[in-house]
This record gives sequence, C-alpha cells and structure tokens, in this order.
Amino acid sequence: MKKIICVLYVFFVLIGAGCTPSETSRHDAPEEIPEISPVQLADGEKLIVAATTSILGDVVGQVGGNLINLTVLIDHGRDPHSYEVTATELAVVETAHLVFINGFDLEETLLDTVRSVASGPIVPVSARIDPLGNEEDPAGENAYGTEEGPESHHHAQDPHVWMDPANVIIWAETIADILSEADPAHKSDYRANAEHYIAELIALDSYIRSQVEQISPDQRVLITDHNNLAYFARAYDFTILGTIAASLSTTSEPSAADIASLVNLIQDNDVPALFIGESASGSLRQLAETIAQETGEPIAILTIYTGALDLPGTPGETYLSMMRYNADQLRTGLGEP
Amino acid sequence: MIEWLVEPFAYNFFLRSMLAGMLAGIGCAVLGVYVVWRGMAFVGDAIAHTILPGIVVAFMLGINAFIGALAAAVITALGIGLLSRRSRLKEDTAIGVVFSGLFALGILLLSKTGSYQDLTHILFGNILGVSWGDFWGVTIVIFIVMAFVLVFYKELLVTSFDPGHALAIGLSPELIRYGLLLLIALTVVTAIQTVGVVLVIALLVTPAATASLLARELPHIMLLGIVFSILSTIAGLYISFYVNVSSGASVVLALTAIFILVFLLAPGRGVLWKLVSRT
Repeated sequence: MKKIICVLYVFFVLIGAGCTPSETSRHDAPEEIPEISPVQLADGEKLIVAATTSILGDVVGQVGGNLINLTVLIDHGRDPHSYEVTATELAVVETAHLVFINGFDLEETLLDTVRSVASGPIVPVSARIDPLGNEEDPAGENAYGTEEGPESHHHAQDPHVWMDPANVIIWAETIADILSEADPAHKSDYRANAEHYIAELIALDSYIRSQVEQISPDQRVLITDHNNLAYFARAYDFTILGTIAASLSTTSEPSAADIASLVNLIQDNDVPALFIGESASGSLRQLAETIAQETGEPIAILTIYTGALDLPGTPGETYLSMMRYNADQLRTGLGEP
Repeated sequence: MIEWLVEPFAYNFFLRSMLAGMLAGIGCAVLGVYVVWRGMAFVGDAIAHTILPGIVVAFMLGINAFIGALAAAVITALGIGLLSRRSRLKEDTAIGVVFSGLFALGILLLSKTGSYQDLTHILFGNILGVSWGDFWGVTIVIFIVMAFVLVFYKELLVTSFDPGHALAIGLSPELIRYGLLLLIALTVVTAIQTVGVVLVIALLVTPAATASLLARELPHIMLLGIVFSILSTIAGLYISFYVNVSSGASVVLALTAIFILVFLLAPGRGVLWKLVSRT
C-alpha cells in the first residue's frame, strides 16, 4: 500500500513542480506602454509616481517637477542588481498612480515584485527605443567571443539605454506624454518641463562631442569592467575592445586566458586607460590593476558612472553631471596628454 | 493601537505576504524538525547555491529557469544522498562536496554566458512580491510536504531516531532519506522564489531548533516550530513596514531573537535558567 503511495507521491511532486511560480512570465510581458486613463485628482492633490532606478527617477523628476509626488525605489548609490525592496516602499508602489520602470528587465526580480503589487499602470520608459543586444555587437568583435547559439533570444537585450543622451531625450518625451495622459490639466507644464530638460540634454550631447573630439579616432577604444557602454559607443563612435567580466553577474569571474588576452589586447592596441564603473566590486578593481601592471605600460584606471546616481555633492549627483564627468574621464584617459 | 495594527493591511500586498509567509513557514517548520534532528541544516543553503548551474544551463538552452533549478536541486539531493549512504561519509561532508562542486560549475558556466542579467539571483524572490498565483503554488507544495510527513510519519520517526530498528522491522531508511532530500529540494526551490533565499534557509532550521529546546515529543516540537514561525513572520513584516527595512531579513531576525530568548530562558535547559537555579 505504501509503495503505491510512494509512486503517487513522486507523481504529485512533479505536478507540484509544474504548478510552482515560473520566472519566465516576466520575460514574456511585452515592452509596451499600457493605456493610461486620466486620474481624478482633488484640488491640490498631486499624481503619485514611483520610479525604479535613481537615473530614471532623476529624469522623471525633471519632467514632473513639483507637480508630482515622486518616490524613487533604488536610491542613490544602491546597486540595482541586488536591491531588496522594503514594505514601506512597496506601500508607495501600491498607491502610486503610475510606476515607471526602465524596460528590458533591468530591475530583474524587483520587477516581479512591482508587477504583483502595483495597482496603477506600469510604464517601461524605454518602450520607444530600439534595443541593442548580443547579436548586434557594436564593436564588431567581442573580445571574448561569447558563444552565440541557441540562447540568443529576448533575454539578450541591453538595458543600459541611458548611456546615450539621445535615448534619454526619448525618455523625457515619453514621460511627458504619460504624465499628460494621467493628469491632462497640467499637460502644458509637463511639455514645457520636458522641452527645457531636452534642451539641456542636447547641450550635454554637444559637450560630450567636444570632449570626444579631443580623442583621436584610433584612441576611441573602451575597455570596461562590464558590458554597459554599448549605446554610448554607438552614439559617439567608440569601439568596445573588451570587458573584464563577461557577464553582469557579480559572481562571474574572468579566466586566466581572459586576463591574458586582455593584456595582449591592451598592448597591441596601445590602450592608455581602463574604465571601471562606480559600483564595480573591489575584486574587479584589483583585477584591473593587475592587468594594468602586467602590460608594463602606464595604464590609467579611471572611474565612470554607469548604473546609478551617486550622493549629493559628488559628480554623479544627477544624470547630467554624471555624463559630463564620464566625458571628462574619457578625455583624460584617452585624449592627447 | 488598533490603527497601528490594521494600517498595513490597507495594502493588498501585505496580506498576501503575511499569508504566503505563514504557509511557507508552516511547511518549513514541519520539515525542519527532521532537518534539524538529522543534521541536514546546510542542505537548504547548499541547494540555494547549487541551483546556479541549473539556471545557467536552462538559460543557455532557452528553457524555463525554474526547471533548470529544480533539476539541479534534485541532482544535489540525490548526490548528497548517494555520497553519505550507509554512513560512508557524514552528511555534512557530502553536502560540502556537492555544494562547492556544483556551485563552482555554475560560476564557470556563468562566466561564459553573456547575459545582461545577474543569473545568480534571478530566482531569488521577495516575500513582499508574492502574487496570488505564487500563493497557490506555495500552497500546493506545502500540501505535498504535509501529506508526505503525515503518510510516512511512522517511517520518518523510526528512521530518524533509530535506523537500526527501522532496518530490523523491514523499513528502508535509505528510501525515506532520499524522499526527505527530494522534498527539501522541492521546498527550497519553490520557497526561494516566493519568500527569498535569506528566509527559506532560516525557516527550515531556526523554528525547529528553538522548539527542540522546549519540547521532547515530536508532535510538540512541530507545533511549537509552527507557532514560532508564524509569530516571526507577523513580527518581521510589521517591522519591515514601520521601520522601512528588508522584510525577509526582519523575519529571520525575529526567528533568531526568539531562539536566543528560549536558549537563555528555557525551563531546565536555558543557559540563564540553569545559572539562576544553581544559586
């Protein structure tokens, strides 16, 4: 009798396995802007808006100004890939009229939580942007030649769109549209704020170009800690020679062969600087230093901002200041001495 | 005072988290009694790490990460079972070997996959993000756990506390052990997605450990474990709401606080109790 139960048990275990939550539901969700209906706001009441990342929050704040009540989840200086949201923050998400997310699964598991908690529409701001992916390598040749093959599917969309100010202009326009649909009374204000910020973004683009112009074309090569500069590289004509870590996971490690080939790459191409993201781990920085030493050349290791804003008072305080700082660092590292 | 208790429930997610947390806690507390008694406390932590190669392979093949994770968890469970059968190696040795081996395999494979996401915690959920669908999934798994523990109650009891006698009366301790390991594997992989990795490891060990300081009969230990689990879930979620800190961590700290209290004050066995009664 118990043997029959044993068999039934195994059967039920498999059924149980089939019934349990799957994480693919997140990836199948379309990157579309949902329908926004106007929100009934009382006199003096503002739209309650939530934004996931600090960079996104900055842009939403610029367009919304003090017409909205904005909460940013992954605040300044926190790592978006390993963020643990609290109940207090989720309370805001549940009551928010609008939730802005980056798109392309940047926020990973936070996205599942936001999707199951938010009562209002969730808007992926990058919906109108064409993503780059693994199959479209702007460098033309990824130094590590990561195996393509059967896994190239919708997972492989690069979410770091904000590294190109042109994309942030699209963000600003999208945000203005969405805010106007939710709060039509202030449509002209949102439009005006967006236009003002877009002007600043255009000025930022000019500034970056002026810095990049001081780098000779054959020196426009990037070796970074993770693969997060693809959009920047495409916009300003840089080549991504290689990255120290092949994947975004903090657990992934380069092999001895990877380090050796990076060293050779740097020597063969006379690369004068490596660029490490603000939030890169200590071990990655050490690896960068080891690689630099190994080449026998004086290689500068410069920090840039890639994923999140920094505390007030630092160069990474806002999106505009962070990108200006990055441009300066690039010029310092790669430009004529 | 009432308002303070009721306010968080104005939010739907709070209710769901509370229910899912308590459910997971009940199942894990019951399973945990055997985990603690048989010295398998690290199986949960091991599985949380060994699912990495499963996830990476699933990613490379383009299939559901959960299937990969479950496959890896089952391999881990069976591997631990095989290596430590008939007491060749102690269970914690087997766990250590399988844990580091599979996790390293995961790291190796990970470094060769160019994903834009951090695959190591792609399945690590958050108790606050439980949807009603997840909730029913957890219910089914916990139901399976409770069914197994109930149906095989006698077998589990005898094989856990007197394996020699079990053999003598014709039971197979090995089979029961594999069954338990597989059950832990299924519970961990499911619970990781719903309540997160921090919480699942603690739920399997701490309530049962605390309860075993206070009671000696198996049913009493289970009941006490369930009580501690439920109390900690409630306390942890309220703290997370009002103090604005991580919910999973709060629940675990509540569990640990109760353990420390009992450890110090348990009648007859508590450290402070013994100190005081000596004077």
